[in-house]
Amino acid sequence: MNGTAEAVILGIVQIAAAVAAAPLLNGFIKKIKARFQLRQGPPLLQGYRDLAKWLSRSEQVADSSSFVHALAPAAILTATLAALLFVPVFAERTPLTASGDLIVVVGLLALTRALLTLGGMDSGGAFGQMGSSRELAVGALVEPVLLLSLVALALQPQSTRMGDIVAFGDAHPGEFIGLGWALAAAGFAVVLVAETGRIPVDNPDTHLELTMIHEGMLIEYSGRSLGMLHYAAMIKQLLLAVMLVNVFLPFGMARFEGVPGYALGTMLLAVKVALVGLALAILESALAKRRLFELPDLIGAAAFSAMLGVGVTVLFT
Amino acid sequence: MVNNLLAISMTLLLVASASSFAHPLRRLRPALVLSALASAFALTAAIHVTATGNPVTVTLWEPSPYATLEMRLDPLGAAFAAIVGGVGLASSVFGIGYARHRLIDDFVYPLFLLMLLAVTCAGNVYTFLAAWEGMALASFILVLGDGAARPRRQAAIIYLVMTHVATVFVAASFFIVARESGSTDFAAMDGSALSVPLASLAFLFAVAGFGTKAGLIPLHIWLPRAHPVAPSHVSAMMSAAMVKTGLYGIARVGLVFLGPGEPWWGIVLMAVGAVSAVLGVLYALMERDMKRILAYSTVENVGIITVGLGAAVALRAEGRVGLAAAALTAALLHATNHAWFKTLLFLSAGSVQRAAHTLNIDRLGGLARAMPATGAATLAGSLAIAALPPFNGFSGEWMLLRTLIGAGGADGGDAVRLTSLVVVGAIALTGGLAVACFVRMFGIAFLGVGRTPEAMAAREPAPIMAGVLSALAIGCLSTGIASAWIVRWLQSVPDAVLGVRATHASDGGQLALASGGSFSPVLIAVVLIVLAPLPWLLARALFGATGQRRGPVWSTGVVFRPTMQYTGTSFSKPLRLFFGRVLLPERRIDVVYHGASPLPRLVRYSGRVPALFEERLYLPLRALALWSAGRLRLVQSGSVQAYLLYMMAALAVLLVVAR
Repeated sequence: MNGTAEAVILGIVQIAAAVAAAPLLNGFIKKIKARFQLRQGPPLLQGYRDLAKWLSRSEQVADSSSFVHALAPAAILTATLAALLFVPVFAERTPLTASGDLIVVVGLLALTRALLTLGGMDSGGAFGQMGSSRELAVGALVEPVLLLSLVALALQPQSTRMGDIVAFGDAHPGEFIGLGWALAAAGFAVVLVAETGRIPVDNPDTHLELTMIHEGMLIEYSGRSLGMLHYAAMIKQLLLAVMLVNVFLPFGMARFEGVPGYALGTMLLAVKVALVGLALAILESALAKRRLFELPDLIGAAAFSAMLGVGVTVLFT
Repeated sequence: MVNNLLAISMTLLLVASASSFAHPLRRLRPALVLSALASAFALTAAIHVTATGNPVTVTLWEPSPYATLEMRLDPLGAAFAAIVGGVGLASSVFGIGYARHRLIDDFVYPLFLLMLLAVTCAGNVYTFLAAWEGMALASFILVLGDGAARPRRQAAIIYLVMTHVATVFVAASFFIVARESGSTDFAAMDGSALSVPLASLAFLFAVAGFGTKAGLIPLHIWLPRAHPVAPSHVSAMMSAAMVKTGLYGIARVGLVFLGPGEPWWGIVLMAVGAVSAVLGVLYALMERDMKRILAYSTVENVGIITVGLGAAVALRAEGRVGLAAAALTAALLHATNHAWFKTLLFLSAGSVQRAAHTLNIDRLGGLARAMPATGAATLAGSLAIAALPPFNGFSGEWMLLRTLIGAGGADGGDAVRLTSLVVVGAIALTGGLAVACFVRMFGIAFLGVGRTPEAMAAREPAPIMAGVLSALAIGCLSTGIASAWIVRWLQSVPDAVLGVRATHASDGGQLALASGGSFSPVLIAVVLIVLAPLPWLLARALFGATGQRRGPVWSTGVVFRPTMQYTGTSFSKPLRLFFGRVLLPERRIDVVYHGASPLPRLVRYSGRVPALFEERLYLPLRALALWSAGRLRLVQSGSVQAYLLYMMAALAVLLVVAR
């Protein structure tokens, strides 16, 4: 019973922390990008104000929409939060260690994609359908990269549980870090960019139909539903950033114990995630959006890198 | 008790077939009602045999000690017999509301079911081959229908040719094993003493023969033609149950008859399966006809199951029996899951055809509002077939991926390890494409606005049809949540075939391998249910209740017309371009000018994705066959003297060779 209570508390803490911090990371990236463009940019906390505005507004719903439109936003948010429960955030432990692994996280993220694209198609507007079409095409390519880059790390600990990967990496950094690790990390980095809808895959700041993917799917949403969808996207961004830093750079994590340990770990995590945010902002400022049909080259290279990472790990460890 | 159930079920199917002649009763659809009843009996018997692991034997006819007609249901066969029974039950009940009354269909349908059942519980080679041929002929008649339309005749003929070529390979494979073991009884057939080349030949023959029935690429060409043209409840039987008999055959020969085997057999199977999975779903994405989409998706799912069987063969050959048991379990789990959602989706296609008179998704749209029960059920089936949690498709995929990642572990040979992990990537790609495929099918056909008056006028079908769809949808969800128990139920199969159970495969509602990573569908479902109301409740608590206004959909300020929507073709355009080098799509743009005017009068656009295997592989083969037949005509001179000479020569050769 004690274990269950602990799991529930850790789960609530992880979800609450992600819900609280996700808009901050987004605001931070926006701020850095604005600074690169010699602008002041919106305040760091603007994300919270926007969300509060959306969540308190009433909705405009298309006549042609069905139950899918109404159910999708909360379902997407639910699946995203559920995925969070299988990722080590503050320590090696995850709230639901025995109930899910990295395959489940990949599956839940795929579920959010399916629901989001269905919501985008529901009203029959061509913008939403276009966004969905592109999102699914990109998502289909990204999914193997995401899985393979994580599998490359799962081979040495012989476990698909992320907590085990973290524990192994922390205990044996010399074996953990290697060519396979580097290739897998490169693959995962592309996944992070693609799945958070950032340049060069998508542009989060545009509503131009020629370029957009994610914003296109949201076009028929307004008010509270729109707020939930934006919130889910921010949480997913944080989730992937946390996965990158914790699973690929787990050092020191497994040793946190007691309140001071967790506090230290949290601070370290915040710094690491902020660095990822900084890197994303620099990348977005330095690169140009690529044409949709050039994306297979980028994602294909990432897939190749992740596959190679798996191969190297099999043959040389 | 169980052998009685089996005998009753088979007798009932014969009665059902005969009852189609009872003209006064035709309104009661006795053939379908009795088929449903018989399926339920068969399902019960099969579930019981797999649960207990005790085989049952029914000897039907014994004309001589060498050729008996014998049914022997062992755990492996029973797992597939359960699929046949379950799919038969759903399809028959659906058929009561759906199928048009035609004497020949009502006569053959129960026989088709009987033959399917007989294939899964045949106890010796002769019974199996007789049932196998009967199954092919019965399904051929159902595919042919009235044969009025040319595509239908063509589909039926291609099916007949392919299935007979397949039978030759199946028979050859069986006889190689039977010759060595000195018995044609399945229970006594054991090819483990065969020399490696001969055993490999038997294995490859089995893969070719059974792979054709299963629809593995490149032997699949009949499948996307034949499955769609049959009535939907027959399509469901063919796609959800009949292709599995091919997989059953591969498992029977590769795992049971041919003993531990060679690792490369498994590698070949995994490679063929992975290619079938990826290409199957890619071609499904390019189709516009709902039933053709579903047929290609069957190729995909058969590929996934074959990967599981291949992993089982390879791992067992390497002596990693525990993982092999997990791989076999994963294959069977996915096979049963596929039976649920593929039956659901094919039957749903039947409802759509009845309601909107077309299956072309580019002419449908908005069906989720017009027929909400069918829409919700189809959505559940689409999420399940796209392998998304918490539906059953995900459980099978999890089990398979987890096994393959385990197979990549350090204790195996490099070839098997690398193949398994490359296949992990292929399965993940297949999963991503399947999401795209079924979001597309559901999104274009069921969401948005109807593109034709017929689609706009669609209404919910007969209650019995909608009821079957809803039951299957609930099944897709509940078997997903309860998959640990299904895995436990299946454990008698690896126990009988490999001598071990997949250890710790299901503790307390959770799926797991011996170590490292587990998955509890029950807990995921609980988490999703607990979390689901949170966003609404929190938003309401913090920001109060909000209202809702209805209005037209945004269409850049002009009046919305249904034709402005994306079609299935435009929806898959990015993927058609991404995978252009694999699919080789063709397009043609004709511009017609009027006199000297620089403005075109007419622009005609047409595009298609060619069926590459037919055009590049089978057409040349057909040409070769016709050409060589032409050459051989030289021998047929028509003169009696020449034929007598041939006979003399043949006799001389025989005397020399056979002595």
